[in-house]
Amino acid sequence: MNTGFYWILKALLSHYWRHPWQTLFLTIGLVAGVGLWSAVQIINQHAEASYQQAQSLLGAQASHWIRSRRDEGIDQSTYIELRRAGFRQLIPVIELEVSNAAGVSISIIATDLLALPETVFDGEQSNQDFSKTWLDFVQPPYRAWVPAVLAAELDLEEGAQLELRDGRKLPPALIQAREQQGRRVLVDIGAAISLSGSNRFSYLSVGEITPAEYVRLVANLPGSLELIENQQHLDLQQLTASLHSHLTAMSLLSFAVGLFIVFNAVRFSLWYRRATLLDLRLMGCDLRHLMSAILLETLVWSLIGTALGFVLGVALAQVLLPGLGASLQSLYGATVDAELGLSAWTLLQAWSITLIGLLWALAWPLYRQLQRSSLEAGSTDVMLADETIARRRLAFAALLLACLAWVAYTQIETVTQGFAVLGIILFAAAWILPFLLARALSLVDSLLPQRHLLARWMISDGWSQLPALRSAMMALLLALTANLGVGSLVDSFRDAFVGWLEVRQSADIYLRTPNLDYQALETSAGNASWLADSHHRIGVSARWRDRPALIRGIDPRATDSLVLPLSRWQGESAASARQAWREQPARVLVNEQVHFLAGVEIGESIALQTDNGLREFEVVGVFYDYGNPYFQFYLPDDVVASNWSHHYSRGIALWLNPQNKSAMQQAESSLKAMGAQPGDWISQAQIRRLSVGIFDRTFAITAAMNLLTMIVAAIALLASLLAILHERMPQFAQWRALGLRQSEQLLLVAIPLLVFCAIVWLLSIPLGALLSWILIHKLNIISFGWSMPLVWEIGPALQLAVVVLLICAATLLSVSFQWRRQMPQALAQLGETV
Amino acid sequence: MLSIKNLCKSYHYAEVRQDVLHQLEFEMRSASSVALLGESGSGKSTLLHLIAGLDRPDSGEINFAGYPIHSERESILAELRRSQMSLVFQQFHLIPTLSILDNIRFQAALCQRFDNHYETELIERLGLVGQLDKYPHQLSRGQQQRVAIARSLLHKPQLVLADEPTGNLDENSSLEVMGLFSDLVKQAGSSLLMVTHSQAMAEFMDRRVWLHNGKLAETG
Repeated sequence: MNTGFYWILKALLSHYWRHPWQTLFLTIGLVAGVGLWSAVQIINQHAEASYQQAQSLLGAQASHWIRSRRDEGIDQSTYIELRRAGFRQLIPVIELEVSNAAGVSISIIATDLLALPETVFDGEQSNQDFSKTWLDFVQPPYRAWVPAVLAAELDLEEGAQLELRDGRKLPPALIQAREQQGRRVLVDIGAAISLSGSNRFSYLSVGEITPAEYVRLVANLPGSLELIENQQHLDLQQLTASLHSHLTAMSLLSFAVGLFIVFNAVRFSLWYRRATLLDLRLMGCDLRHLMSAILLETLVWSLIGTALGFVLGVALAQVLLPGLGASLQSLYGATVDAELGLSAWTLLQAWSITLIGLLWALAWPLYRQLQRSSLEAGSTDVMLADETIARRRLAFAALLLACLAWVAYTQIETVTQGFAVLGIILFAAAWILPFLLARALSLVDSLLPQRHLLARWMISDGWSQLPALRSAMMALLLALTANLGVGSLVDSFRDAFVGWLEVRQSADIYLRTPNLDYQALETSAGNASWLADSHHRIGVSARWRDRPALIRGIDPRATDSLVLPLSRWQGESAASARQAWREQPARVLVNEQVHFLAGVEIGESIALQTDNGLREFEVVGVFYDYGNPYFQFYLPDDVVASNWSHHYSRGIALWLNPQNKSAMQQAESSLKAMGAQPGDWISQAQIRRLSVGIFDRTFAITAAMNLLTMIVAAIALLASLLAILHERMPQFAQWRALGLRQSEQLLLVAIPLLVFCAIVWLLSIPLGALLSWILIHKLNIISFGWSMPLVWEIGPALQLAVVVLLICAATLLSVSFQWRRQMPQALAQLGETV
Repeated sequence: MLSIKNLCKSYHYAEVRQDVLHQLEFEMRSASSVALLGESGSGKSTLLHLIAGLDRPDSGEINFAGYPIHSERESILAELRRSQMSLVFQQFHLIPTLSILDNIRFQAALCQRFDNHYETELIERLGLVGQLDKYPHQLSRGQQQRVAIARSLLHKPQLVLADEPTGNLDENSSLEVMGLFSDLVKQAGSSLLMVTHSQAMAEFMDRRVWLHNGKLAETG
């Protein structure tokens, strides 16, 4: 390295050694921003990779599946016959959903290891423990391979047997996992058969198959089974895309808030290095060298930020992944590997976004400064004039952005476009903020009576603090808006979801098992004193408009069908639409997903593939279907039974007699007597608990991101106040010499700060409501295909006001400690003589 | 070494043009010293900045060491300031985050013109031994100005431009620092053009010129 260049670099970088607070805040800003962004990025890419591999079961490539048309599972004898017919690539799979005594839902997957192709074990046969481990797995008492994450969650130790809610026990646990096991417990097929008490497989996975074999396999399949292409990974990508987009948007918001801290730290480092840059130029450093040094500085910071931020991101992803993985499993049946996989690509992306952010925050302002003439660069007046110009330019840019957002809002068609518009709105609000704060200061100043000199002085001092607090206030505004907007979205969703559950899941018991004849059950229990009503539902799995769909046959006169809540209907009222649907066989009720995602309107006809070809049904109502990723069609059960011969039972809902105090116990005894296992039914309370549990777990990540964003904003505020203190210490020393007390000087900092925070808080309320409104009425519909009423309450905003006050109090307290520490030196410098 | 011909410079304040330098002529030989006197606002600092290439004249010529400063490219001007000139200001302009030793060495390092023996001599003569590991804010103003002087001379420039270098010091310190400064400039074989208000400081120089109404006049 050229000696001169080394000295320029030394002069520029020495700033960070001598100002550790600024270095710390710059590092925190970078690490927080990069960390939050990369955490979500790691989770998304990890989930994406998991979906890509979803078609492989324990390494075996499943090109197709054989499933029962009636969702009844596949008989063992059918599997043996197919193997005998030469189809060696068939692998039986049993999937079970159970829960432990504490009600934690556990997914079990079972397969026959002996049926797996040898390639699955490549590299493992040489391992001495291999034979013993696999032998233990396939022979009684079997082994349950439990992923470490799940074992930790269930507090399960090696060799222990997990007890289920109904008293059954899993085989002794071996804490280890194979690829794509995710959070699922893996057991041998024999263990699963004895656990479920049924010798039917959930489905058969079909390995590599030639076209000729495919034709032969189809010919060999009994009529009750169908061979379907494995499109799971495509479906999962499609179904979960919106959730991942939401997460990405939140991570970008966090990155933006982190970037504001970086801006803040950079502004101060620039301010302090103003004189140094001027000196360097006076001493003849040319612009080329200075620019190279600045670019190198940017590069160094980007590497530090990426390295540390990525470490934080990985740690955060490890914390957030189990909850999100469990939700993805519950909502979409998507398996996300519990062990995090990292790619160099993610790291490279993190570095790129950091570098771009830094070039914007650090290199560009420094370049602007260097472009000035040497004399201008050193002038405080020029810097202050710059501040005013910057404020006006930002306000103007904000207005342009607002206009752009207005136009773009009407054109939103995809989730990405929606988030882009939200981003534009948030940036417009952040950029107009300094102008609004300045106007507010002028307004407060003009309202204060002339005689209140001290108060006027405190407000007017806000002008000195405004440049330093500008970025921190923008960060705070973004954090508050995100908290209020996303918080309101979650509250609205929770209210709508719980209310919907009340109506939709009104039965006391839901029973679903392939081992029971529901018609016989309805007949035999019909006169029982414990039963008030029952509703046996049937269904057909299908694909409609290239997405998974469910055609459900329901009893139109059942208790829950009579009050099915509709969001849109044909005719005068929802009741009349329901009546028309009951009475006319060619009418259908569709879920909101069909209306919003497929664009089907009331009165339109839709074509469904029946046994007798395509058949048209007129849409007479649209029902709420929160959280369902699939299209759903409700038809009277007789219509489904007559049009789809391979329909299958979707279980039965039982309403207990409210007059009978021991109805639940009697019902359970009766069901057991009829052959149902305890795990086959679930009570309404359990369903609600599970549903709300899944809901809360899904949105736990949102709450975590909101909290982290607030913390980042608080750090920005602290950094700004400490910088103000450092910069103005000589001034504070002068005022101290004039007789001002510490409390009065702190008030001088606190009053403008509180005025600014109050304005930011006030602005965040309508902005948060707007964010929430767009999220619910635009993005939610585009993403998930359903809508809900917006719940807006002042409570969360008031809570946030308290949080902001606490943040202000904490930062002012830190500042007062620093004030006491630095004041003696500042006072000593006041009276300095040569 | 330095030749200025027909130099004009004006500023515009609130749409009013104010001529600061008007057809100014000036010559300066190598290894000489000149005190530039004048009332406040007469344009002394402006002239110094124009000679250093920090500002551009409206018209006229400034030639230094064979280079046309008035029209030279910024990169050449930077190179000249780095290796052939140095500037000393009332406000010292030390780099606050570097140690005293690093500050002294800075400009010599930039133009890669080290002389260890001379460095030691400068540090001793300016009384900075024992201060080298400190940082600028830990020194008194007098000491800081000595550091600025050491920095300006270590690379032995042809021309030292000083703008009120003792303006921040009391009278005794000013005389002491100025005596040292002029001795060291002579020893380095450099020329010194110093802006000052003080007749006492001007007495240290070989020549004294008075700037009035945009023009220079010798005052003897």
